Amino acid sequence: MDLLMTEEEVRFRDEVRAFLDAHLGADLKRAERLNPSFLADPAVGLKWQAKLNDKGWVAPSWPKQYGGTGWTLAERYIFDQECERAGEPHFRGASIKMIAPVIMRYGNDAQKGFYLPRILSGEDVWAQGYSEPGSGSDLASLKTKAALDGDHYVINGSKIWSTLAHHATRMFALVRTADTGKKQEGITFILIDLKSPGATIRPIRSICGTHEFNQVFFDDVKVPVSDRIGEEGEGWDIAKYLLEFERGGAFAGGVLRAILTRLHRLASEPLADGRKMIDDPLFMVRFAEIATDVDANDMLELAAMSKVQAGGNPGSVPSSTMKIERSRIRQSIAELAASILGPDALRWEEYRPLHDLPEESEIDEERKVASAVYFNSRSQSIFGGSNEIQLEIIAKTLLR
Amino acid sequence: MMDLNYSDEQLLLKESAERFLKDRYDFERRNKIIASKTGYDVGIWSEMADLGWLALPFAEENGGLGGGAVEISLIMEAVGRALMVEPYLACVILAGGLVEKLGSADQKAKILGGLIAGTSRPALAHAERQTGFDFGNIAATATKSRDGYTISGEKPLVPGGPFADIFLVSARLDGAIKLFAVHADASDLIRTEVKLVDGSRASDLVLDNVAVPASALLGAEADTLAEIEATYDRANAALASEAVGIMDALMDATVAYTKERVQFGKPLAAFQALQHRMAEMAVKCQEARGSALLATLSVDAPRPMRIRGVSGARAKIGKVSRSVAQEAIQLHGAMGFSEEMPVGAWFRRLYAIENTFGTTADHLKRYSEVVRDPAVLSGSLLREPV
Ligand SMILES: Cc1cc2nc3c(=O)[nH]c(=O)nc-3n(C[C@H](O)[C@H](O)[C@H](O)COP(=O)(O)OP(=O)(O)OC[C@H]3O[C@@H](n4cnc5c(N)ncnc54)[C@H](O)[C@@H]3O)c2cc1C
Ligand SMILES: Cc1cc2nc3c(=O)[nH]c(=O)nc-3n(C[C@H](O)[C@H](O)[C@H](O)COP(=O)(O)OP(=O)(O)OC[C@H]3O[C@@H](n4cnc5c(N)ncnc54)[C@H](O)[C@@H]3O)c2cc1C
Repeated sequence: MDLLMTEEEVRFRDEVRAFLDAHLGADLKRAERLNPSFLADPAVGLKWQAKLNDKGWVAPSWPKQYGGTGWTLAERYIFDQECERAGEPHFRGASIKMIAPVIMRYGNDAQKGFYLPRILSGEDVWAQGYSEPGSGSDLASLKTKAALDGDHYVINGSKIWSTLAHHATRMFALVRTADTGKKQEGITFILIDLKSPGATIRPIRSICGTHEFNQVFFDDVKVPVSDRIGEEGEGWDIAKYLLEFERGGAFAGGVLRAILTRLHRLASEPLADGRKMIDDPLFMVRFAEIATDVDANDMLELAAMSKVQAGGNPGSVPSSTMKIERSRIRQSIAELAASILGPDALRWEEYRPLHDLPEESEIDEERKVASAVYFNSRSQSIFGGSNEIQLEIIAKTLLR
Repeated sequence: MMDLNYSDEQLLLKESAERFLKDRYDFERRNKIIASKTGYDVGIWSEMADLGWLALPFAEENGGLGGGAVEISLIMEAVGRALMVEPYLACVILAGGLVEKLGSADQKAKILGGLIAGTSRPALAHAERQTGFDFGNIAATATKSRDGYTISGEKPLVPGGPFADIFLVSARLDGAIKLFAVHADASDLIRTEVKLVDGSRASDLVLDNVAVPASALLGAEADTLAEIEATYDRANAALASEAVGIMDALMDATVAYTKERVQFGKPLAAFQALQHRMAEMAVKCQEARGSALLATLSVDAPRPMRIRGVSGARAKIGKVSRSVAQEAIQLHGAMGFSEEMPVGAWFRRLYAIENTFGTTADHLKRYSEVVRDPAVLSGSLLREPV
């Protein structure tokens, strides 16, 4: 065992760094720094996506045949670390990381041929339609109905908390096609064009003052049967496959280290009274504790990756563990950052997106966004299967 | 014998405060107020005057009702639950409190009289950017002029600022910190409104050679800095009670929500994992209540005891209230993360409290400085009468 990169990997890292230096502009980095949310503002995200698409690096996790990079896992890890270190806007959400792997695995050739290129180019932006007002953690109880009528389904019901649905062109959704038998068995996976007649969106603001999620209503919305993924009743298995990507799946070590580094910079700046937080032992102890959490999480990720590279499966406990740990780490970094603002923490900028406001010094901008980042971080332990549900999964495995 | 039970009058006050805000200040109304142009409701303010809230802590000889810190704590708990944004604490406890302590008979008649009647809203402009938790770190200056004083300095984030007609501005006069009453419409005083994280508003003040008459000086002979510190302690005790009111509201909302919300065929409250989480929240709410009461009953104690009570409470409550607020959001799921319910607004107000008149860390440090004295640490909370 060792933690050494190969010569080739070092070269690869330098190549990625050079690309990021040349193409990830200051405007994009600033927009990401000023974004309190999990995902980038779509206008910003799509701009960065286009640059990566020109280089062929949009979707490193995709197989080469669909437009992926063909990199090894280690190379993908390095790429992720470098992108995060450089401060890239986070655009790989529902489209690239969630629906694409589902289409690759369960879609037919026509679906693959039509949808995957549109995802790479950014022509389609997808929203996730799982949760409903009555079905959150108990996802399988969902009620949105899809009734077969000739060559299309008629959808009625509503989805809620759909992130960025107000910017999305399409939604992948779980719908109910049967009420008999086990509730999981009547679920079907379907692709909905959000411009269809009968689909309406109600914006919902989050506690950090941003409109990032929505309730989406379906009133006799027609969806061609050809936009069903897999068979009727197969939706639950597909949904679970997708959740693996949403929860564990990709890497988070890079972003955790990047935001910890941002906190370090914030704490290194002298305060109005001349003190620096990094000289404050109360602060530094907490900071160092979190840094050990980040290291431990990094090792979990590397170990899981190494297992996959050797042909194994990391299993559900590591992915639940990582979901819990990542959310806690993000929350504790954001909380610590917000706790060192002093009275400035009281100042609140309502305008969104923040990057449209006149530019200030980097530190002033860090201070401006820190409270909103903290508020937003509370969602980390709720979305993608709450931490309680992850604990249930771990406990079930332990007690089996 | 010590007594930690509310009197009948206090219970009546508590009930009337809760009822008033429940009837007149529901969440919808509050959201309308914070979205309005001015960000406060003068109607509510005059109703508070009618109820006697604005007269509550002042001595009867000054036109007040002679209430103490306990009465204030009851109002503040209700204010916390209702998320009231009107500057009760800023006007009554901070500014009013200092006028009562330092003002001449004439100043009291004018400023306190107007405050109690609901027509004047004084605000304290003391802390500066570099002040932090060192109350004496003040750079604003006052110089004697022919018929008064000239004041210059910057006072950011003045609580109650946008609502104020009079500012009590602290400045150094021959090196010593003094307070001056400055009219809000004085020329050369620039007031900029600032929106705050909890939906309320404050003002950034810049004073550039503002001329005030000799009668503007409060407490020429007094130890003004010591009075300012003691007044902030009263305000911090009041904030501790406000936080307790919010924590209870979060607790109630979480219990109600988990009893109603059904997942996996059961109310969420039927899951033991969540029952224990709520039980932990309840433990924290009780602890916070104890701390806030200690703060309330310490505001007139000798300085080290006062700091133990007040800063100890702010430190303790900062920690447990943050945890309770985070748990309340978590147990509400995405609903708690949205602005659909007051949970997020309570969370944000608690965050603001943690950063008002000293942060949680500031208070922990101030507390640690007094408890390193074994005499303070080992001393019982019970005090000898003075
Ligand atoms: C920022 C954000 C973005 C989101 N984006 C999307 C999206 O794009 N698309 C989408 O479909 N959904 C989205 N969601 C919804 C998310 O998937 C749900 O919030 C999540 O599944 C939890 O469901 P719920 O909010 O209804 O909470 P509930 O299921 O009502 O749970 C409330 C609380 O009870 C706990 N709980 C529930 N059951 C149990 C149990 N059996 N044992 C112990 N504790 C339990 C939960 O952990 C939680 O703490 C998003 C949510 C957030 C916060
Ligand atoms: C130092 C010590 C002194 C004691 N002194 C006395 C004494 O003076 N008199 C006396 O009568 N007893 C005494 N006890 C015994 C004590 O009351 C029991 O240990 C305790 O009630 C737990 O019961 P148990 O040991 O049978 O564990 P169990 O009931 O088997 O519990 C084992 C674990 O499961 C947890 N658990 C149990 N039920 C639940 C549940 N429903 N939900 C969640 N978690 C649960 C427990 O918290 C514990 O962690 C003492 C115990 C200790 C450790």
